Amino acid sequence: MGWAVCPIRFAKEGDRFFIGQSAVRRRPIISGADLAPSLSRGGPRQPPFLRCLPAAFPSPRRSCSAAMFVSDCRREFYDVIVSQRVLLLVASDVDALCACKILQALFQCDHVPYTLVPVSGWQELETAFLEHKDQFKYFVFINCGANVDLLEILQPEEDTVFFVCDSHRPINVVNVYNDTQIKLLVKQDDDLDVPAYDDIFRDDEDEEEDSENESDGSEPSEKRRRFEEDVIERTMKRRQRREWEARRREILFDYEQYEYHGTSSAMVMFDLAWMMSKDLNDMLWWAIVGLTDQWVQDKITQMKYVTDIGILQRHVSRHNHRNEDEENSLSIDCMRIAFEYDLRLALYQHWSLYESLCNTSYTSASLKLWSVQGQKRLQEFLADMGLPLKQVKQKFNSMDMSLKENLREMIEESASKFGMKDLRVQTFSIHFGFKNKFSASDIVYAAVSLMENVEKEGPEAANFIKALDSLSRGNLDKLHQGLNLAKKQLRAIHQTIASCICTNLVISQGPFLYCSLMEGTPDVKLFSKPVSLCLLSKYLLKSFVCSTKNKRCKLLPLIMAAPMDVEQGTVIMVGIPPETESSDKKNFFGRAFEKAADSTNSRTLHNHFDMSIIELKTEDRSKFLDALISLLS
Amino acid sequence: MAGERAVGLVRELHRTIGGSLPPFRTEELRQALEEMRALYEQNQADVSEAKSGRTDLIFLIRFRHCCLLRNQRCILAYLYDRLLRIRALRWEYGSVLPNAIQFHMSAEEVEWFNRYKKSLAAYMKSVGGEEGLDLTQDIKPPKSLYIEVRCLRDYGEFEIDDGTTILLKKNSQHFLPRWKCEQLIRQGVLEHILS
Repeated sequence: MGWAVCPIRFAKEGDRFFIGQSAVRRRPIISGADLAPSLSRGGPRQPPFLRCLPAAFPSPRRSCSAAMFVSDCRREFYDVIVSQRVLLLVASDVDALCACKILQALFQCDHVPYTLVPVSGWQELETAFLEHKDQFKYFVFINCGANVDLLEILQPEEDTVFFVCDSHRPINVVNVYNDTQIKLLVKQDDDLDVPAYDDIFRDDEDEEEDSENESDGSEPSEKRRRFEEDVIERTMKRRQRREWEARRREILFDYEQYEYHGTSSAMVMFDLAWMMSKDLNDMLWWAIVGLTDQWVQDKITQMKYVTDIGILQRHVSRHNHRNEDEENSLSIDCMRIAFEYDLRLALYQHWSLYESLCNTSYTSASLKLWSVQGQKRLQEFLADMGLPLKQVKQKFNSMDMSLKENLREMIEESASKFGMKDLRVQTFSIHFGFKNKFSASDIVYAAVSLMENVEKEGPEAANFIKALDSLSRGNLDKLHQGLNLAKKQLRAIHQTIASCICTNLVISQGPFLYCSLMEGTPDVKLFSKPVSLCLLSKYLLKSFVCSTKNKRCKLLPLIMAAPMDVEQGTVIMVGIPPETESSDKKNFFGRAFEKAADSTNSRTLHNHFDMSIIELKTEDRSKFLDALISLLS
Repeated sequence: MAGERAVGLVRELHRTIGGSLPPFRTEELRQALEEMRALYEQNQADVSEAKSGRTDLIFLIRFRHCCLLRNQRCILAYLYDRLLRIRALRWEYGSVLPNAIQFHMSAEEVEWFNRYKKSLAAYMKSVGGEEGLDLTQDIKPPKSLYIEVRCLRDYGEFEIDDGTTILLKKNSQHFLPRWKCEQLIRQGVLEHILS
């Protein structure tokens, strides 16, 4: 199966396509005929979201096969850039924000002059690179860039070096095997399964041998014999080459088929800080938030999460052991991190327990809170624990102390009676001053809702900066604003889920489930942003799996569509893997979307760093879905 | 009424808050000076008359003299306060003032400003040894060599000491040497981020 033809994207007014080194302004695409120019564009440059295999098999600029992972982060990355100016290109997700904060703290400590540019997609990445390429030689990509061929897309100068710290997998093979310009800041023990060098790349020496043999000439009979031998040899070689090519395609297809996530970038950065002995409690907290973001967005498996929590717990006890000693404990104003086996309820300490129970996907799905019986079950659940409704509906901080004391154990006990065995989860919380106590997931929800704030019209970078600021302890007002927005977001998500399930909007299309939000749905503007839409889809799938009786449907993945921009008539579409107990969170929709788009000539835009999120024109939606159905059946 | 225009000048200056420089009111100043001249002439006439017998004019002369003194005091206060503001501008903006502000200054004030600049420069040169000491920098004690700044509006390219240029775009964040940023922070292009 080859990926030779690339999906065609539509352009918005003022979009720039980069040919060679200069920007070209493109007119908007109105009909199918306008798409032809994109195909006739000359040159080897291709739009960034294309995942073509290299047409020939040129070896990247190396000859041996060791992968280009930075083994000593400190020596090969930090010491190189500490005397240089660096450009940081940071993706728009909380893990990237946390990694960025840690790196900024290190840079400020060592006076490394840097510039920070937020990027939310491939287009912005390219724009930022082109604007700054004359001024910087060293670029650091945080949570972007590992899964595409960076050299081909950005075409940097010979002496430019890219450092990529990205949790997206699989890492593009060209990035892995390039040793001069691309350095990957990735932990080696992540299950990477990179194909061996010789299986994918080979130098074209064989062609020359053939031509040499042909030009030899002497006596006719000998010549004919040699000619026959040559022919046989050449056909053998050609057949070997074809077999090799076929095997190569297969290997690469298997390698790049599924998308998943590796270790959080924030943890990698914290590791770097620790190796340099410059790690602080603040940086540790950011690493924790980065990991928790991966867990909240369901990007990593439960086992990986638990393993990483174990790693972080060692650091936490190293930094925060003084609190355990009653006599020598630190002042209440100092920041301290504590390991907690806490309830899984979203924002419960900043909300009322009742609201939190209603708006956490785990409890909402298990108790089926969209139905009347579900509400009754909730009441039974609360009664079982002996919590009066009046107490439970008021702010958590004002609940009676006697009720709050053994809350966690009480809830866990009752929850297992109601089929919720995993209501508690290992996590960390931060504590500074008398009033300020936050759990890691609180910070994640707050930062996500600040970043995807639709209430204010403004450039996206402003939201990014607000979210970045909210991670500092000095900006508590922004954090509280984020928490309020997060509450609104969670409420909106669960109301939408309730209406989708009650009105049976989730339909099975055969190989996958499909749900589409109509334009007039309340809060639909909130879901025009990728992370919010992903959260909605994941929670919807969880709830659907609990609500449906069809055993087959429980194992299907989900595709969710929501209107993105009403004027331009675009729709944002997200594909998420099926919800199973031991899911490995591997997502094949990235590839599937590309293939479907190109086979139907739909006008799609694969702008997000996660390939399973795309935008497409509303008119092309049905044929796109039909293509997907036939592709995946 | 006598003295109104001069007081009006002072009032206007008093109203502009924040130490900014309002336009130089040449016309009002001229009118005030005109009034003073009229009063003086009247006084001159009356004094010669009073000397020759009419003692009841003495009170009027006294009154006019007080008006003259009042006008003089107001006008002097006006001019002096403007000079103090212009002096503060040198410390805030540096040696080149923005055009908008230069419009508001009279020719004499501009000359005064130039002489003040020269005087300050001569002093700074004499203070710091060989190179001189730029006293207008680091008005508050600096905490670090480099500061983190955020760009509040598109500025374009900006060159720093080692020759490299930085593109200042809205909402980008940079970590730059403090002395290069101070000017732009004062102008409102960059914002210092304290974390």
